[in-house]
Amino acid sequence: MTAEIGQAAIFLSILSALWAIGLLCVGLRQRNPNAVQSGRNAVIATFVLISIATGALIYGFVTDDFSMRYVVEVSSAAQPLLYKITALWGRMAGSLLFWLWLLTVAGAVVIWQNRKETTDSLADYALIPIAIVQLFFIILVTGLIEGVYNPLARFPNGQIAPDGAGMNPLLQTPSMAFHPPTLYIGWISLTVPFAFAVGALASGRIGSDWILRSRRWMLFSWIVLTIGITLGGNWAYRELGWGGYWAWDPVENASFMPWLLGTAYLHSVMIQEKRNMLKLWNILLITLAFQFTLLGTFITRSGIISSVHAFAQSDIGGYFLGFILASTAGVLGLVAYRWKRLKSANRLESLLSRESAFILNNWLFVGLTLIILWGTLWPIISEAINGQKASVPEAFFNKVVIIPGLLLLFLTGAGPIISWKKITPNNFRRMFLWPMAIGLFGGAVTWGILALKGHTAPIYSVLCSFAGVFVFAAIFAEFYRGAKLRAKRQETSFLNGLNLLIQRNKRRYGGYIVHIGIVILYIGIMGSKGYFLLESDSLKLGESMQVGAFQLTMKNGFQEERENYIRAGVAFDVKKNGRQLTTMTPARHFYHKAGQGEQDTIESAIRHFGVNDLYIALGDLPPNINAGGVVNVQVYHNPLIGVVWIGVAVMVLGGIVAFAEKYQRKSRTLIE
Amino acid sequence: MKQRRLKIIAASVILLVAMAFLVVAGIRSTSVRHFTPAALVANANAVDNQKVQVDGIILEGSSKWDAVNFELTFAVREREGSETVNVIYADRLKPDNFTDGGSVFVEGRYDATQNLIVASKLMTKCASKYEGAESVTMTSRAGG
Repeated sequence: MTAEIGQAAIFLSILSALWAIGLLCVGLRQRNPNAVQSGRNAVIATFVLISIATGALIYGFVTDDFSMRYVVEVSSAAQPLLYKITALWGRMAGSLLFWLWLLTVAGAVVIWQNRKETTDSLADYALIPIAIVQLFFIILVTGLIEGVYNPLARFPNGQIAPDGAGMNPLLQTPSMAFHPPTLYIGWISLTVPFAFAVGALASGRIGSDWILRSRRWMLFSWIVLTIGITLGGNWAYRELGWGGYWAWDPVENASFMPWLLGTAYLHSVMIQEKRNMLKLWNILLITLAFQFTLLGTFITRSGIISSVHAFAQSDIGGYFLGFILASTAGVLGLVAYRWKRLKSANRLESLLSRESAFILNNWLFVGLTLIILWGTLWPIISEAINGQKASVPEAFFNKVVIIPGLLLLFLTGAGPIISWKKITPNNFRRMFLWPMAIGLFGGAVTWGILALKGHTAPIYSVLCSFAGVFVFAAIFAEFYRGAKLRAKRQETSFLNGLNLLIQRNKRRYGGYIVHIGIVILYIGIMGSKGYFLLESDSLKLGESMQVGAFQLTMKNGFQEERENYIRAGVAFDVKKNGRQLTTMTPARHFYHKAGQGEQDTIESAIRHFGVNDLYIALGDLPPNINAGGVVNVQVYHNPLIGVVWIGVAVMVLGGIVAFAEKYQRKSRTLIE
Repeated sequence: MKQRRLKIIAASVILLVAMAFLVVAGIRSTSVRHFTPAALVANANAVDNQKVQVDGIILEGSSKWDAVNFELTFAVREREGSETVNVIYADRLKPDNFTDGGSVFVEGRYDATQNLIVASKLMTKCASKYEGAESVTMTSRAGG
């Protein structure tokens, strides 16, 4: 019965979404507060209806309702409760419903945030595009269109399966339970700033109001996407057994591109606030960022790119492409309609100024996005150009991204300290000289260390160290100067001054903390991508292998029974320079039920030595380990990989500090 | 005023050209041609000793794992055909989801005389996520 209620709720939500779109349009046009209020209520109704549908599906999972097709495909009776619930987004039909549900939550939150506003506020305009996107997803999950079935549908003829197929074991880990929803939340909250941009165009209020309202949503989205992308990398690192966390796979790229564009937007809105420039650019940028969240789904669902993850071909890609094109055309139409109001009031005064540093930053972010898009779509592009399908490996991205990436790193330090309008010799001397000198010293030290270790011409590492140390010095100097000034003015201690400084301008100094996180992240990437070791060997019990300074000796095999799988593996003694350090136990899991996944998965052993990791993955286990069977072992030494996670944590912390700045400037007019 | 605009335009153009150059150079030096097994066999001499990508089905019964030498050998079959290419993949673990009859993606250097790819990269489809044929069999199994 619950499944039927859920299905009915989905169908009813078509009406509530249409009602919302219709009444908001009419009400805002005719200045009819009752109609607008009714439109708002309809958005809430959509949220309630989709919540019912989502709840009904979760109920199906929890009660093991194997008459429901989706439940059978991703769950099974023995699956732990957590993974029965996360099965909600285990495959396409359910993940679309989950996406839709989050979208309705976003709509409800926008209404709640603006509940005290009169009925013609910008937020009401923004609800229209939100409701349109909701309607698109509602239609996808009804099951009326080809290529995707209704996640609440039962098997025809009342069939009931004895048990479900179970979720892929690779997904049955906590970080995989949280990685997809985090990404979804990030993508979906990107819909809101986009909706405000559209609302600004529609209402003609293209001042700073929409920027103020959308900025915080964007920042929220940015924080969540940063966490989500990192959880994905962390999951891949721990679960997939290839010792890395990022491989420029189309799916990874699809999550990374909206992040890049969102980051660009967070910077360019500052220019609009301070200098009233880039109005048009900001609207286009946020539109692009939103479209890239859909494009990601298109790339991964349409089957046009074959990749590890390529979700099988389905017709759904066509719908996404159609929606992307139609909504982009709609925005461009509105832009043309409002063309006169989008003109900038100010112009760039000099190429060497904070404005142009911001613009260069935006160019680089958008440029990087386009480079990554080009590489991701190269299989299609190359086929179109010369009829020969080709694709680019990881090396392409690593090669092409490095120079713009290092320039961006340099800008994270240069941007905050360069003066507005035009750099002066005085500004350069005061702000740049010392950080540059310290940066050069840092680069030289890195060169020395690497040369001693026998690495010749590590040009990019040296550049990265130079830029990183420069940024550190520049940002720390900013904190130091500001804190000292505050302390002096308030006649208090330096630490109190520092606290006051951050409290008074959380957005600015939160941003600087993010920049420090970026530097840390770059250093981690440099170490782990540039200097990892990989050794492979076939070992019998008692035999040893050497990886860098570590000696690993295979001690004994083991096997344990777990909740829904068997864990089997071997234990290794780990020594460094002859000194016993620890025991590591890489294993494989043999799941009793694996859905469409592999039943036998690699469970690497990872041990942290400071910020460096030793990582052991096992190949197929022979039945006769104790009788001299051979085990295939692959061992990685990943230097500085811990620094990657620390860097991201600092970035997220900075984001949260910036986010804590209250939305208090409503009454204060910004520079007009 | 005019001069400044000119400078800004010049800077933008330089940036754009630099980026385009990066991409073109990157593609030139790394792009790997993609074939199906049949197309590779047909063009064998043209791509001898070049890096190629092949994607197809792991020929049923062909895969052999030699644990002692840490070596995986198998043949990739055309999806809807019988042409095959041999593959050797050494010193790397067999990826999860590698089973005869499954989808595979191989990248490596092609030796035309032996019709053999010495693979440097091997990917299987991420099984969690494919829908379609598989779920049909799943459904019929569940129904029956």
